[in-house]
Amino acid sequence: MKNAAEIVIPSNPHYLSVVRAVTGQISSVAGMSGKEADKVKLAVDEACSNVIKHAYRGKTDRKIVVQFRIADDSFVVIIEDNGIKASPNKIKGRDFDDIRPGGLGIHLIERAFDTMSFDKRKKRGNRLRLMRRIRGR
Amino acid sequence: MTVNIEEKNGRKILALSGEIDMSASPILRKELMVLIKSKVDQLLVDFRDVSYIDSSGIATFVEGLKGMMSFGGKLKLAAMPSEVREIFRFSKLDRVFEIYGSVDDAINS
Repeated sequence: MKNAAEIVIPSNPHYLSVVRAVTGQISSVAGMSGKEADKVKLAVDEACSNVIKHAYRGKTDRKIVVQFRIADDSFVVIIEDNGIKASPNKIKGRDFDDIRPGGLGIHLIERAFDTMSFDKRKKRGNRLRLMRRIRGR
Repeated sequence: MTVNIEEKNGRKILALSGEIDMSASPILRKELMVLIKSKVDQLLVDFRDVSYIDSSGIATFVEGLKGMMSFGGKLKLAAMPSEVREIFRFSKLDRVFEIYGSVDDAINS
């Protein structure tokens, strides 16, 4: 069996704690330190929150699939939804000097992962791929 | 997350515990807005028992700070565990908020 795991949650913010718990545990399995796992946990939480907020516009009864893949040199998280398509070129964190609510989530995702990309082949909804290189495992 | 409103030396303290995420932030926002509308001149937030905060929690405090500043009130954040403080530091918001090591430090400031 591949080193992979998957969880399916409803698009309800109450289930974000479940995503965090699983992400934290899998990050440890991938060999990350507590601090690194905390960053990854927050980033995956932010990505799922974005799905609830933007792809599903706050609807709480839709499906979010979170898949984790551990390889020798990388840790990949794939987050899939069937909601409104994201416009990747419009996704941008706010300037840190622009003090206003919002716009931090993307920065927190980029802090934890080396790459972030949307799968263009997915016809309906979004498939977000987050990849973190694992060094010296 | 749970929210308790306490008073010490005449100062209102919002004592929080647990995780501040997208499901908790609307509850926190509601409590903050009630205190802001009542125009308390100083509001202290006790983070001692907060184990997690995401961007929705941060956004709620930015909104709270703007609300307090609109009438000259002060919002002071105290006793943040290192992992929570790190998020404020990363967001460069530790330059914007008044952050104290303990609730007593915030009261005596």
